[in-house]
Amino acid sequence: MTDRESRGGPAIQATGLKVHFQTAAGLVRAVDGVDLTVARGAFHGIVGESGCGKTTLARALIGLQSATAGQVNILGRDRAEWARADRKGFARAVQFIFQDPLGSMSRRQTVGQTLEEPLQIHGQGDRAARRGRVAELLDLVALPATVLDRLPRSLSGGQRQRVSIARALALSPQVLICDEPLSALDVSVRAQIVNLFARLQAQLGLTIVIVAHDLAIVREVCSAVTVMYLGRVAEEGAAKPLFDDPAHPYSQALLSAVPSPDPRIEAARPRILLEGDPPSPRNPPPGCRFSTRCPVVEPRCRETEPALRTVQHGGAAACHLADARDHAMI
Amino acid sequence: MKNWPWAILAPALLFVLIGLFAPLIMTHDPGAQDYGALLTGPSGAHWLGTDYLGRDMFSRIVGGARTSLVAMAFVLLAALAIGVVIGSFAGYVGGKTELVMISVIDIVLALPSLIIALALMGVFSGDNFTWMSDYWKMIVALTMAWWANYARMSRAVVVAELQQPYIEAARVMGASHLWIFTRHILPHVLGLVVVYASADAGALVLAIATLSFLGLGVAPPTPEWGQMLVDGMSYIEEYPSLVVIPGLALTAVVVSFNLLGEAFALQKVPRAVRGRFLTRKKVARAAEESARKEVEA
Repeated sequence: MTDRESRGGPAIQATGLKVHFQTAAGLVRAVDGVDLTVARGAFHGIVGESGCGKTTLARALIGLQSATAGQVNILGRDRAEWARADRKGFARAVQFIFQDPLGSMSRRQTVGQTLEEPLQIHGQGDRAARRGRVAELLDLVALPATVLDRLPRSLSGGQRQRVSIARALALSPQVLICDEPLSALDVSVRAQIVNLFARLQAQLGLTIVIVAHDLAIVREVCSAVTVMYLGRVAEEGAAKPLFDDPAHPYSQALLSAVPSPDPRIEAARPRILLEGDPPSPRNPPPGCRFSTRCPVVEPRCRETEPALRTVQHGGAAACHLADARDHAMI
Repeated sequence: MKNWPWAILAPALLFVLIGLFAPLIMTHDPGAQDYGALLTGPSGAHWLGTDYLGRDMFSRIVGGARTSLVAMAFVLLAALAIGVVIGSFAGYVGGKTELVMISVIDIVLALPSLIIALALMGVFSGDNFTWMSDYWKMIVALTMAWWANYARMSRAVVVAELQQPYIEAARVMGASHLWIFTRHILPHVLGLVVVYASADAGALVLAIATLSFLGLGVAPPTPEWGQMLVDGMSYIEEYPSLVVIPGLALTAVVVSFNLLGEAFALQKVPRAVRGRFLTRKKVARAAEESARKEVEA
């Protein structure tokens, strides 16, 4: 797990992943045919507006949400088969960080007990060895040893998220999937936690998938980005080039919402405001899913759904107007 | 438990202590008959007088406390164990199994528990059950009438707890169902169920006395309050103390356990309110302080 680009093959590969929910109001297609490849050692961000299915995607990747169709391979092994055959082995390889750190910890257990629990589940070490490992973990996430005897509710938001990160790292996983780990935190703490993620990744050679609202943070730390819209991948690619020149009109609109710290850039920054709300995932529009709000929509967009194609920045976008040489600008 | 009304424990604790140390407290053998002193009033030799067979009332009341305590403990522990196991299983497994089990629990709950116990005592009086003594018949009948409440509560706690995200977190860590249940869910279940049981104990003492009163529970030589009530009934006009004394003892036990349960229940609810109230006060005080400092500056 120390060498970052070891043993070839992607860390996570999802093909044709679909998660549909049967509700009283009809079938909700939260994730509707997503292909996703996360390279080993990547810091992969998944972005999109609320309700686009990014959380469901993250949950389906680790199996907290059963997929309606499609397959997920993690570290080259079929996830469903792996989790069934070797639940503990799978847990040691892949860990998950929840959006709400407080809810994801038992309110009856102290921080020390919470951090020790995964080690106990996996029968690792005796009492003293586990204590040592817990101390190591606290160091890793830069928490003082004084938090050990405290209950989660008496910690600050940032401390809670650090504890939940430490717990996820207790089993030394290779892949870490994070479901909006920053949304429950205020802005000043967010930066600390992001830096913590970046440091951990460099230190431990983790593959991190992070679902995020905050595009500025994704631009800052991620090596690869997937933009989702209405349960589908709208655009994907390496973070820097994609952020510099997004090919999909939706990405352009989404990324134009990112404020810049530089006041000169900020003043001149074009802002694209999309009309209306995204359509309901119960009943996606025919053709391109973005066609109902796209400012540069063409008749063919309403008829056939565009497949992902290679675009200028080297990644891929699902837009009829984009190809390797050119793309629509809005 | 800092602000817990500890005094409320005293009456219930007294009952338990009397029951535990009954043999040391009794001044006479509760079965010994003294035909020289029938139906006497309180005296130095018999603190609460004697009954129609010349048995010492004080010793019989103390002995009755032990009978009630032991029978109550058996029933409560058995009902709690059965209820927690059935209820937790239903809540954890879910689906159709849960639906079937919940229906059974609801049916049992729909019938008054004393009626169920009486019906079962009737069944147990058949030839197939001669191997059980009347005492154990009563214990089993009461247990089978009493578990459903605990099952329903356990299920409710399990279902509520299973929805907590930390259960998912434990699963992600690779925890087995057994681990999740024993480490995370069971403590919550027991926490609630034990509190409820403390209030329920009084009702159970009353039920045991009721069955004995009807001649279905504890057999005559053993001192038992319900039995004493029946025995005293025939003398109620001339010697009301034969009925009043065991009646008061029963009332005292029921009330003391109800108080205990009430204390638990009250303690459970207002704690959050109290906490919030205090923070609000603290915030208000801090604001006042800073305002004053500003004025001074």
